[in-house]
Amino acid sequence: MAPPVSTPKSASPSQPSGKSEVTDLKLQLRQLAGSRAPGADDAKRDLFKRVISCMTVGIDVSPAFSEMVMCSATSDVVLKKMCYLYVGNYARCNPDLALLTINFLQKDCHDQDPTIRGLALRSLCSLRVQNLVEYLVAPLAAGLKDHSSYVRTVAAIGVLKLYHISATMCHDSDFPAALKALMLSDPDAQVVANCLYSLLEIWTQDAANSDEAAREIEALYGKSIIYYLLNRIKDFSEWAQCLVLDLVSKYIPSDNNEIFDMMNLLEDRLQHANGAVVLATIKVFLHLTMSMTDVHQQVYERIKAPLLTLVGAGSPEQSYAVLCHLHLLVMRAPMLFSSDYKHFYCQFSDPSYVKKLKLEMLTAIANESNTYEIVTELCEYAGNVDVPIARESIRAVGKIALQQYDVNAIVDRLLQFLEMEKDYVTAETLVLVKDLLRKYPQWSHDCIAVVGNISSNSIQEPKAKAALIWMLGEYSQDMMDAPYVLESLVENWEEEHSPEVRLHLLTAVMKCFFKRAPETQKALGAALAAGLADNNQDVHDRALFYYRLLQYDVAVAERVVNPPKQAVSVFADTQSSEIKDRIFDEFNSLSVVYQKPSYLFTDKEHRGPFEFSEDLSNLAIGGDSGDDVIHSAQRYEENDKDLLLSTSDKEENGGPTHNGSSTYSAPSDVNSSTSLVSSSTTQPAAFAIDDLLGLGVLDTPALPPLPALSLNAKPVLDPGTFQKKWGQLTVSSSQESTLSIQGVASLTAPQSLIKHMQNNSIQCIASGGQPPNYKFFFFAQKEGSSSFFLVECIVNTASAKAQIKIKADDASASDAFASLFQSALSNFGSS
Amino acid sequence: MVEKQTTGHHVDRSICAWFWHQYNHHRNNDQMSVVTSPTHYLFPLIRHGIIFLACTQLELPPLLPIEFLSRFADILSDYLCAGSGAGATLNEDIVKDNFVIVYEVLDEMMDNGFPLTTEPNLLKDIVLPPNLVTKVLHAVTGNSSPSVGPTLPHAAASTVPWRSTHPKTTTNEVYVNLVEQLDASVNRDGNLRRCQVYGEIQVNSSLPGFPDLTLSFTNPSLLNDVRFHPCVRFRPWESSQVLSFVPPDGHFKLMTYRVKELKKIPIYVKPQLTSDSGNCRISALVGVRNDPGKTIDSIIVEFQLPPCITSADLTSNHGTVDILADKTCRWSIGQIPKDKLPSLSGNLVLEPGLDRLHVAPTFQVRFKIMGIAMSGLQIDKLDVKNMPANPYKGFRAQTQAGDYEFRS
Repeated sequence: MAPPVSTPKSASPSQPSGKSEVTDLKLQLRQLAGSRAPGADDAKRDLFKRVISCMTVGIDVSPAFSEMVMCSATSDVVLKKMCYLYVGNYARCNPDLALLTINFLQKDCHDQDPTIRGLALRSLCSLRVQNLVEYLVAPLAAGLKDHSSYVRTVAAIGVLKLYHISATMCHDSDFPAALKALMLSDPDAQVVANCLYSLLEIWTQDAANSDEAAREIEALYGKSIIYYLLNRIKDFSEWAQCLVLDLVSKYIPSDNNEIFDMMNLLEDRLQHANGAVVLATIKVFLHLTMSMTDVHQQVYERIKAPLLTLVGAGSPEQSYAVLCHLHLLVMRAPMLFSSDYKHFYCQFSDPSYVKKLKLEMLTAIANESNTYEIVTELCEYAGNVDVPIARESIRAVGKIALQQYDVNAIVDRLLQFLEMEKDYVTAETLVLVKDLLRKYPQWSHDCIAVVGNISSNSIQEPKAKAALIWMLGEYSQDMMDAPYVLESLVENWEEEHSPEVRLHLLTAVMKCFFKRAPETQKALGAALAAGLADNNQDVHDRALFYYRLLQYDVAVAERVVNPPKQAVSVFADTQSSEIKDRIFDEFNSLSVVYQKPSYLFTDKEHRGPFEFSEDLSNLAIGGDSGDDVIHSAQRYEENDKDLLLSTSDKEENGGPTHNGSSTYSAPSDVNSSTSLVSSSTTQPAAFAIDDLLGLGVLDTPALPPLPALSLNAKPVLDPGTFQKKWGQLTVSSSQESTLSIQGVASLTAPQSLIKHMQNNSIQCIASGGQPPNYKFFFFAQKEGSSSFFLVECIVNTASAKAQIKIKADDASASDAFASLFQSALSNFGSS
Repeated sequence: MVEKQTTGHHVDRSICAWFWHQYNHHRNNDQMSVVTSPTHYLFPLIRHGIIFLACTQLELPPLLPIEFLSRFADILSDYLCAGSGAGATLNEDIVKDNFVIVYEVLDEMMDNGFPLTTEPNLLKDIVLPPNLVTKVLHAVTGNSSPSVGPTLPHAAASTVPWRSTHPKTTTNEVYVNLVEQLDASVNRDGNLRRCQVYGEIQVNSSLPGFPDLTLSFTNPSLLNDVRFHPCVRFRPWESSQVLSFVPPDGHFKLMTYRVKELKKIPIYVKPQLTSDSGNCRISALVGVRNDPGKTIDSIIVEFQLPPCITSADLTSNHGTVDILADKTCRWSIGQIPKDKLPSLSGNLVLEPGLDRLHVAPTFQVRFKIMGIAMSGLQIDKLDVKNMPANPYKGFRAQTQAGDYEFRS
């Protein structure tokens, strides 16, 4: 018996003695192998322990495989366990030798003792060696019928392991059906849970390829099974309860009585000691009551206390995960939590990521009744040793002020911050005061008086400096020394490293010039000269622009640079509400912890394979991602629509903000109104700028040439109709196209191309495939007509080729569409 | 490093190295909760200096792995530390000595990534803990007795999975222990910003047969939210606020609870800091307010010296003051003497160039009060039914400081 070649993985240099130790162990094992002497078992046991310790610290002890197997003929349970462990670890890299173990494992599967039967079966299934699968079937089948529940639990999971090694073998032996029967009849709850777990995984993976599996999955979510499981929920172990609750959360009850029955049944789960059960129950409650607004509110009230307890009582890891969920709920319904604000006060010992979440929640729940308390608390954090948190809390104060509660008191407090004379406090506060002034210009007098006392030399951070300069420019008429401060800043132009600050300086000097021309003229000249000589393209362009504007007409320049401004009413939200809803749908999952819907961070393969078949009949996603499989096709489409909506929403949000000089000053966020929705679009000055900019933009080649055929930007087509049409229509155009190199590079995931095509008004209805081959089905609609274009596009990233098949309702327009599609495709990656 | 591959997808060990690197990297700014590595999502859990790490590539309820890991950590320390005397905590050496037990336990607790048996009582029937007796036996006879139970527990099939059906020799006694943790924050003006109590009822039961217990409180309305051990029946609590249960054997957590806002705190600290021209005078007074009626023990006041302080000279009129390596100043007071108030005073020297101290340290207080639950929760009585002989019943209460802080 030749020892197998050791894998290089664990030949660690840090264990120089490893080699000799293994040889030594081998030798000793060999000596003991045949021994039936009375003390042999103990000696073996010590040896086995050594082998396992070596294995655990990373020494490769696989050379001793055959010796271990020889020694394993024993009746000692401990020895058996250790041997199973060893075999399980190394069988995979020594498939030939693993065959040796089959014999004694199979024998153990018929042992008297159920423990041994169970253990042997578990080890047998854990070998995961492809060519040994045939030996698994008989013991598994026997295991499922074993009279000991322990063996049955092991067998139920064993079936799943078999499925992962060889799905066909699993189906041929009819194991899923046996599992289902067992699930519905077994008296032991753990067996039922394990059957459920295995079945869910097996059928979800199969659902993509077989109608039968899809139907079975549907049955699992059906009323009878759900009720069966719910009625036994108290018998299940806590983990199995989580599994069942997750299943229940996807069940759609037929009427309200059913909902109330279920909620009454599950209510006590909220008081379970295991946080995972509590959270799973909360998910069920939230999903059940989604359609009933008033009950939904009551649910919030009901789940508040358990959540707050979970946050406070658990380990830091638990409390963070729960806090993330609480954060989500608070953001959805801040009003309901407004009286619990004290729970979100930060503790000194909280880690900073927890504090950050708490600050966000405090900001969200502030209202008339609690603002004073919350702001008082937040102000205490400003002196925190933890500087990022101190900054964060000042920002929170500002955000609360922008929510319009008790502004008067808050402005006073902010101004007190400025007197604290701490660099970072001053810096943060300046940015806030600037934002406040944009919203509440009426406070300018109070603020200006304090801000005027701040020396611009003491501020280092670009954002704060930019804010100060903006205020100097905006309120130069009220600040006595504004022109002189600006002048000294211009003199130090060279030392100012941040382009943002230089941009603001230019604009501020301009504004100041319009108000106090004689005093500023010199500074303006210097600033324009310095700006024209600047290395930064934006600064240079802005200086040039101002210069020419002034040359053209000073009055126009004033209207452009310093138009009367309307107060900002709402600052734009950064996360779209669709995304938030989606995260809410994925309550009790990692999405909440990451604050992103799962499709933004999980790999496609782990979300579940989205298989695509020619006739589109099995559009479904599977896997364990927790997505509802019955409705997967629609879901998926929604998913894509979400992506679409969120991007186009952003554009809409962004649209009106691109007015005035802000379009021009892309890097700025202070000047008039990037990043906020302002109503100043109607200002004549803004129009003037739009025109001016329009002239500039027309020359730029950034926009794709407008094709003759125009497409509906948001067509709607459901997968069913798509499928029907695809079947009915003939291929009107079939072409091959080449992708640009950049296009191939950016096609790491189908999502990127889908987004790109959406921007060209071509929607994706389904996609799939693994690199290098991707397959997409797109559709588009002719503007102002009901005729659709359907496209099948197969992209091979290795050869950078795309094969396109187009079917159209209106065949005459199909050529025009084909060229449009091709040009969109070839642009991919370059825009 | 103990590893257990649970599913067919092999996770390479190198993930641990990656995690370790990240962990050391981020140690200072404690950005650790769910970690995303390039290939996996990792759930780290740190207990007694040992890191438990779970990896997944799937979307799943985050609390599932976290709860499982903490349960595993609890069970492991229960297993491995019980034998090595009271007060021992899990450490690397203990784990190293007991690799086999760790594997056996883990094997029973999880199969193919799905938690299996996690009830300590059941587990102990399947995998015997290494206790003192077997150790002694081993030492004397050179024979190690099997660490695996001879038969399978049948409790798995019974209706009370947490209670083993094997009658064991019992001492016929039950202890109920109320342990409360008091969280409070007081701001620099001495106003109580918040104060709440998290409590636990720990029960140590050693009763034969199938006992049925009922525990009632004199003032259950105090409780704001409760969570129960699975053995507690829900209906009696709903209707009359009593805990009715069949206890598992041994030590377990019967109930955890949270108590509504409290208005009184037992102990106060008055810190004062004044700074000018590079020096900072610091003084702190500790005293009892709202005397709880029992002695307050092992009082320790701690605060973090701000990084901008170069040296500190602190003295106290009672107890000892130490400055630890990480610039934590620890003032161990013990009990408050009757005749005087403990006070701490001293001088801090700031970094050159700094005139005044800009950050305010937070004073954290730790203490213990035996014999009283600060929330005022009181146990009325404990009824034992279904028992041949009346058992001995013991009650205790204890309050300790949780996040108990005074800002300056």
